[in-house]
Amino acid sequence: MLKKEINDLLTQTDADTPMGEMFRQYWIPALLARELPEDDCPPVRVKLLGERLIAFRDSKGRYGLMDEFCAHRGVSLWFGRNEEGGLRCPYHGWKYDYTGQCIEVPSEPEESGFCEKIKLRAYPLIKIGDVLWTHMGDKVNRPPEPAWEFATVPPEQTYTSKRWQECNWLQAMEGGIDSSHVSFLHSGALNSDPLFKGAKGNQYNQQDKKPVFEVVESDGGLHIGARRMAEEGHYYWRITPWIMPSFTMVPPRGDHPMHGHFWIPIDDENCWAWSFDYHPVRALTPEERQAMMDGYGVHNKYVPGTFRPLQNKDNDYLMDREAQKRGETYSGVWGIAMQDASLQESMGPIIDRTKENLVSTDNGIIMARHRLRKACVALRDKGALPPGRDPEHQMVRSAAKVLPPDEAFKEAMKDDLTARPGVKQTSV
Amino acid sequence: MPHDSDDMFEADNATREGRGPVDHPTMLSSCARAATAAEARFRVPYPNSRTRTSRIVALDATAAEAMYQITEDPWNDAHFLALSSTGDVDPGKTPAASLPLSHPDGSAANLAAELDGADLVVLIAGEGRSAGAAEVIARECFGLNIMCAGLVLAEGKSEAALDRVVNSIRAFTRVLVVARDGDYIPAMLTALRA
Repeated sequence: MLKKEINDLLTQTDADTPMGEMFRQYWIPALLARELPEDDCPPVRVKLLGERLIAFRDSKGRYGLMDEFCAHRGVSLWFGRNEEGGLRCPYHGWKYDYTGQCIEVPSEPEESGFCEKIKLRAYPLIKIGDVLWTHMGDKVNRPPEPAWEFATVPPEQTYTSKRWQECNWLQAMEGGIDSSHVSFLHSGALNSDPLFKGAKGNQYNQQDKKPVFEVVESDGGLHIGARRMAEEGHYYWRITPWIMPSFTMVPPRGDHPMHGHFWIPIDDENCWAWSFDYHPVRALTPEERQAMMDGYGVHNKYVPGTFRPLQNKDNDYLMDREAQKRGETYSGVWGIAMQDASLQESMGPIIDRTKENLVSTDNGIIMARHRLRKACVALRDKGALPPGRDPEHQMVRSAAKVLPPDEAFKEAMKDDLTARPGVKQTSV
Repeated sequence: MPHDSDDMFEADNATREGRGPVDHPTMLSSCARAATAAEARFRVPYPNSRTRTSRIVALDATAAEAMYQITEDPWNDAHFLALSSTGDVDPGKTPAASLPLSHPDGSAANLAAELDGADLVVLIAGEGRSAGAAEVIARECFGLNIMCAGLVLAEGKSEAALDRVVNSIRAFTRVLVVARDGDYIPAMLTALRA
């Protein structure tokens, strides 16, 4: 249960809201780099944190992210001509560079300098890995560039996708730190998904549906450990890191690539679910990459030409009760990503947390909310910058390991939970 | 109410890939599209849970100090108890009824009576000297099928000291939380409707 005022605090992310301000303290994923594949390519509309923006890549390869609408008459610059170092409004020819500065107003005398008085709000857009990242906060407090391992390994070792999720970011993110649902909702996929199946750890997952949880605060967020029985009294541990405000990683299985998510608010009732896979020490195989593109693992299939999942609320997520009866899926919905999204969207655009009935195994969620609230209030009231901005906080990994019963994951898996270039992931 | 549109009906069928057409009209409120704020107001308004019975046990003085800061807050059916002995107990020789527990007002508490009908026990530890008491309580919880959770207060502790506290209750809880600050106690208990 969460009081309404705290629910509002955590779920509202427009400009001038406390949580919106908090998100603006981070570099967040804005677009896939492949959405702007070449210089002078078509601009792309993108809505982030309740702000309608336009992204483009100019003639010199510089990325711009700015207010979508022309300062003159409010025309959407998606109709703009991306040419000769800027984006030109097709209505009256006003032109803007990648910083949002107006550089031409054809109707005014060039010598008047009028255009210098016109500037659209703009944010930096930088490419790291497959992702274009932006920082929408005050430049004075701009954090170091993102250091997430999935974005910094060589390109052949990583794959990123994104999908539109039709609900508030927080209920989507909470699914990522809710380890106890895996043994139910995703149980069918453990046997069949090419990016999950075949791992020894899957057996432990399926044999022990009542894991024991351990939630430990870290400098950047949390480590959420789920412990299940293994052989000879040993424990099979799966550790999920959560880094503030919305980064999580799924504990790995066998030698499959590692995967994880960002949940980034589009507005209060929609978010981008970013999903990545990478392998720390080898290239993804063609089969793995194809499986990701085909929507397996944490990825999904799309309505062609969009980032909307093919299974969506307009078609009841293509619910297949026959597949459910055959045991192919637990919920009747195909695919891990949409199994999660279908249930999270069914809660409504913003779940009313005053009515929920949490239990003690939900402590990962409870603690994450607690830390978000504290960081949000500290930023609002004292200007304290939140955790998760430091590159050191971002050097994390999920891990899975079998440990003797007297060993605590926090100590025994310290190195396993740290991103170490060139070192293989710890997995079972 | 008719289904939303014939177009949508056809679109539904077009995406079903050989699994047969939708054979009934789809009202907004009987499909996934009902997940809107407007439809949320038709959710049935009623209390969907009864009051929980929670028992919160401070296992040492540090834990008790943190716990006593919130005992006066308005809780549902939570009882706050503290181990009233400074030394640990021998779990092999200590029946539940003999565990020295007290209420916040200093009066003696009986573990067996406190656990009668309880849904949840939260053990709070700050010093790591009460593994025996934790075992006695956990043993009772196990026998009565009561969820036993642990909360370790990490504030101001070295890694080694924190490990000692964690190890003192790890084996006796199904959920263990290591919190940096005591303010997690009310946050957790509120979330759990204690």
